[in-house]
Amino acid sequence: MRYEVEIGGRRRQVVVTKTGDGFAVTVDGIPHQVDVARIGGHQLSLIVDRMWSADTSLRADPSAGHLIVYVGGTPVTVALNGRGRYGRKADGGQASGPQRLAAPMPGKVVRVLARTGDTVRARQPLVVVEAMKMENELRASHDGTVAEVHVREGMSVEAGALLLVIQ
Amino acid sequence: MDPLKKILIANRGEIAVRVIRACRELNIATVAVYSECDRTALHVRLADEAYPIGPSAPRESYLRIDRIVDVLKRSGADAVHPGYGFLAENAAFAAAVRDAGAIFIGPTPAAIETMGSKTAAREAARRAGVPVVPGTDGPLAGSDRQIESAAQALGYPLLVKAVAGGGGKGMRTVTDPADLVDAIRAARSEAGSAFGDASVYIERRLLRPRHIEVQLLGDAHGTVLPFVERECSIQRRHQKVVEETPSPVVSPALRRDVASAAAAVAKTVDYTSAGTIEFLLDEDGRFYFLEMNTRLQVEHPITEMVTGVDLVRWQIRIARSERLDLDPARLVSPSGHAIECRIYAEDPDNGFLPSPGRILDLRVPSGPGIRDDGGATAELDVPIFYDPLISKLVTWAEDRPLAIARMRRALDEYLVTGIKTTIPFFRWLLAQPEFVGGRFHTTYLDDVLKARNGRPFVEPTPRVEEIAAIAAALQMTMSPSGQPAEIGDARRWRAQARAEAVR
Repeated sequence: MRYEVEIGGRRRQVVVTKTGDGFAVTVDGIPHQVDVARIGGHQLSLIVDRMWSADTSLRADPSAGHLIVYVGGTPVTVALNGRGRYGRKADGGQASGPQRLAAPMPGKVVRVLARTGDTVRARQPLVVVEAMKMENELRASHDGTVAEVHVREGMSVEAGALLLVIQ
Repeated sequence: MDPLKKILIANRGEIAVRVIRACRELNIATVAVYSECDRTALHVRLADEAYPIGPSAPRESYLRIDRIVDVLKRSGADAVHPGYGFLAENAAFAAAVRDAGAIFIGPTPAAIETMGSKTAAREAARRAGVPVVPGTDGPLAGSDRQIESAAQALGYPLLVKAVAGGGGKGMRTVTDPADLVDAIRAARSEAGSAFGDASVYIERRLLRPRHIEVQLLGDAHGTVLPFVERECSIQRRHQKVVEETPSPVVSPALRRDVASAAAAVAKTVDYTSAGTIEFLLDEDGRFYFLEMNTRLQVEHPITEMVTGVDLVRWQIRIARSERLDLDPARLVSPSGHAIECRIYAEDPDNGFLPSPGRILDLRVPSGPGIRDDGGATAELDVPIFYDPLISKLVTWAEDRPLAIARMRRALDEYLVTGIKTTIPFFRWLLAQPEFVGGRFHTTYLDDVLKARNGRPFVEPTPRVEEIAAIAAALQMTMSPSGQPAEIGDARRWRAQARAEAVR
């Protein structure tokens, strides 16, 4: 089996072949012998090159089409075969293009600090959402003009709900 | 009289679990209350009895005195432990429990009233001869203009604080006078939702102080005993995130002074049960009374670890009118060092925004010197309605460097999947030379976080990335052939990837 695995913006060619006592796995041409034991539905204990023990858990990221592989306790965002967007880029942190400000968590809009047509600067607070008893300021990622406002003060919003758009 | 056979715990989450555990050890029956979203929460499942008290929003359940008193009567419990937060510092609640013929496990309503009001508490400290941080004498009233002139007289930078506050809620720093009115509005809104009391006051902000606090126990016979100080200067937006005891900078002489000042303040209200006096420690070694918390503190476990005293057990014994017969010298002579990290369901790589949702796996560290006080379990949601604390991870060791090493080991063992947590942030923090050297103050963390400018806390090494690539590829190879892989909601995505692989 051949896979294209993208981690941290870098693609790796991974080839997996079943062998007598485990798997031969090459990553970008570098071969490894891997003994793998499944624990439950989503945990794999690996012993790589007959020495290195690695404890992994694999989970889908519900907000995007990629996988999170926990190596020990460290989460690593993984996209296979180029499918799915890679995490950090999906956060709306680009320096150009429209910013679609979405609610990062469900909560109540307690303040809308910008109106359609307003000019805003990077890091300027735009919407205050109250969740978990704290007020969270959601800010502009870059300079621009508010093109659309989709919320009013007092509205409840779901995670991922579009709050406003900056051009 | 044979009091305290059954205790109602008017709280949720890890602190409800903590109190249930103390009750079990004393052979006391437990009554849990729960909101709609907490039906399956750990505290409900561990308690002997459990009663619903309304919808998930705190104001409609955990802050409803009438509903909790109703459960108190129906269950026949003879005492109430309020935990911390919610109604823990609400004098009306303590009085309502007493009027229902039950014991409130905490101080008297009068002591809560006086000390719970931060402005009245400052007055009590002044009477006890303990210096206070300069600030307004009472809650803010009057027009914006009047408030602005009071603030001007006090001087900037200043802090807007909830009169009924605690835990950093309802608090704002104001550096620019133009931000004052907005800060007061935000603080009032937060205070109203967190404490049911929206009044606020203002206080001058000392530059680079440390936060030192003294745990106390008082009994009904006039004894008040102070404990070794806790150092709680590692704060993010006024919210404690790491606590330790003893403080790395407090000398035995200063310890004696701070402890006796704390006891003097508590005695002005004949304080009973567990409480904490908070101080700011200036760079020149002077300390100022900040406020008193008339309840059990979140960070009480670290004091328990270095003194061997079970504070919740003592709260219950004091409520039974038992005498506080602990050796006072032992309480201010810590054995070893303890550190606590508050593990939150927050995404440190996204401005610490709350990350509610379902915990899929939860593997808690264990082994020598580790204590994890948790209220969350795998397969359960961290609700959006409450403080997103997953657990308090505490390590104890013979000295501070070993306690830090142990905490780093414990953080590496800690596995939470399904939601984001502050664990990667703590791994970073505990490696910082300022933390290791004990060189920090209450704004240290906010300053370094700002300087990091969003650099991610999770930075997998190339080795870890390679392991992740191997694991992902193996999972894909193994799942189509044998047993179905149960990777959450990945079915659709997996089907696509499989189609690609076959091609």
